[in-house]
Amino acid sequence: MFNNQQIMDLPKHSDISFKPLANKALLHTQLSSLLFYIPLIGALIAVCYFNETFANNAQTYLLIGMPILVAVSMAYNMISVRLRGFAVRNHDIAFKKGVIWQQVTVLPLARVQHMEIHQGPIERKLSLASIKLFSAGGVSADLQISGLTHDDCKNMRQFVQNYRQDDATTQAALVDE
Amino acid sequence: MSNTTIEDQVSPIYWQKVSPWALLYFVVHFSVRFVKDGLLNLLPMLVVFVTQVENKLFWAQVAGGIALISLLIYSFLYYLNFKFCISSDNEILLNKGVFKKERLTLKFGRVQNVNIAEPFYFTPVNLVNCIFDAAGSVSQEVVLPGVTKDYAQQMRKQIFDFKAQQQQEIQNTEQSETDTIENSLSISNKEIAKFGLMSNMAILAIAAFAPFINLIVDFLEKQIIAKVEGFYQQELGMLASAATFAMITLIVLLVLVAVMLSVTMSLIRFYNFELYFKGQKFKRIAGLLERHQLSMSMDKVQSIVIKQNLMGRLLKRFTVECLQASSGGIAAGVAAKKNKQTLVLPVLNSEQVDSVCQWIYPWFNSKKLAFKRAERALLYKNLGFYSLLPSVLVFGFCFIADINTLISLGVLVVFSGLVTLSYQRYGYYMHEDNGRFYMVVRKGMIGVHYRVFELYKAQSARSISTYLMRKSGLKSLYIQLASGFAFMPYIKQQDADFIIDFTIKQIESDTRSWM
Repeated sequence: MFNNQQIMDLPKHSDISFKPLANKALLHTQLSSLLFYIPLIGALIAVCYFNETFANNAQTYLLIGMPILVAVSMAYNMISVRLRGFAVRNHDIAFKKGVIWQQVTVLPLARVQHMEIHQGPIERKLSLASIKLFSAGGVSADLQISGLTHDDCKNMRQFVQNYRQDDATTQAALVDE
Repeated sequence: MSNTTIEDQVSPIYWQKVSPWALLYFVVHFSVRFVKDGLLNLLPMLVVFVTQVENKLFWAQVAGGIALISLLIYSFLYYLNFKFCISSDNEILLNKGVFKKERLTLKFGRVQNVNIAEPFYFTPVNLVNCIFDAAGSVSQEVVLPGVTKDYAQQMRKQIFDFKAQQQQEIQNTEQSETDTIENSLSISNKEIAKFGLMSNMAILAIAAFAPFINLIVDFLEKQIIAKVEGFYQQELGMLASAATFAMITLIVLLVLVAVMLSVTMSLIRFYNFELYFKGQKFKRIAGLLERHQLSMSMDKVQSIVIKQNLMGRLLKRFTVECLQASSGGIAAGVAAKKNKQTLVLPVLNSEQVDSVCQWIYPWFNSKKLAFKRAERALLYKNLGFYSLLPSVLVFGFCFIADINTLISLGVLVVFSGLVTLSYQRYGYYMHEDNGRFYMVVRKGMIGVHYRVFELYKAQSARSISTYLMRKSGLKSLYIQLASGFAFMPYIKQQDADFIIDFTIKQIESDTRSWM
């Protein structure tokens, strides 16, 4: 049977102090969100302009509903960005996210197969970037952290690249001793 | 570190050609590829042909003739350009292609398996196909067709010797003592036929006919249903319900055909199934048209899945799968299965499951696994969302549509039963054996599904919780593996945290290679 008595000094992921995302991460999320809503609102205005029957039936609901939807979405984004955080430890990277379903993912550096850094047009303007870390067997990236500064992303990539599992295990053995 | 001279390193490359009989392989290979990949693209042309062209038979013969000649010419040119060589740097070099010439290099170290396949068309000339599987990559697979069996076995030995030499430092002496013991298992063809009943191969076969469904339905309606209906009317004198009986007869016939098809496909794939386990390596030989030999090293197995569906429960049989790393997602998993990277033991009874699993995990005994179950909050949540909510919706619909509202009660009872079964199946078990740590995760509803893996092979670990779960001190656990994942919902927060921390510690401190 499984015995866990010997492992008293197990590093706890629940004790990790997560670093918040970059200052401009919220602005990026809100702008990305608006980029979705503005064309949608534009399309609805066009439909109302050309289709009088639709306008008569839906105009009032849309005038009340759309601002509420946008406001709720923006409030959700604010909470979502605040709840996100990442931590780079000696041997792994941890990331927490989620408003309703809160997730904490720990990805050991020894299992990282490859990485990607992405910078969209808004991210470039705000000097932000996203990093994706892939391990084996996942459907998509195991960790996707957006809203980091481009420098943070590059440093993280460099750190993962420099990581040598052999060094790490030697260090771990020393700590255990 | 070796200090070889430059003269030693530069050695001439001797390109070899495969036997002229390999031309047969190329013809079959490109025909299969054409049917699999090309036919679907030609479907619009086929539709135009069926609906617009008048002299169909003539033009079909012309098109078929051109296709056949093109296939033969292309296969011949492919054969002429197909050359291979085993370099002194322990790599396989392959030159191939007609319009696009390719040079493929596969290092011995990257070869996961060397499989030997004996297609029926090579049997009279005693030749085989030697297939080199690279780690998780379908496009990097190298096939040497039409080589002698001795040569293929020599190649396999050479590659495995090279790999064994590489891993010698890691292997401990204790292991090598047990390596000499050989275990074997053979499954009778009667048992293999049962796999046909358990598996969904018939559905796959029927799906292949999907593009022609309208033609098939028309044919069935005109040729079969009308005749069966007439038979019922004339012979049995059932005028009123003859059409219904004809339809039921047809459905029963179709199901029988599907079952027969499934059984046939299982027999083709697993005929005369033999499995050997020696020196931490599996060797499986099976197949009717093609005797396929698959060898898999135990350290390449990422997890073992033991599953039993409804039909399996009735037959008291399980299917065991030894999964290797699949490079991303469901599609890759399916590709891995197609590419025969997964070792499937199709039909085993519970004693056989235990004995096969004990070859790999000596501690494994399915009857003694004391599973820790999910907390009751999972049952309450699922009853609310997947049983109560749908029955309320059904009640509302029945009420509006003026249908008997008792249907909603039926929905409530059935869904509650399924939700309860699913809740009872969830469980996990952790085991320590000689300093190695293992986890078994169970799930299912009517059937059951176990996943067994060693903790250090995990890729990442994740906890998931909602506000209410946190208030109740609960978390769900998700462990990503290189082949699938293990998910255990609604367990105590401290247990979930401990498993994550312990798994991460195993990954980070274990020096063994996970791949």
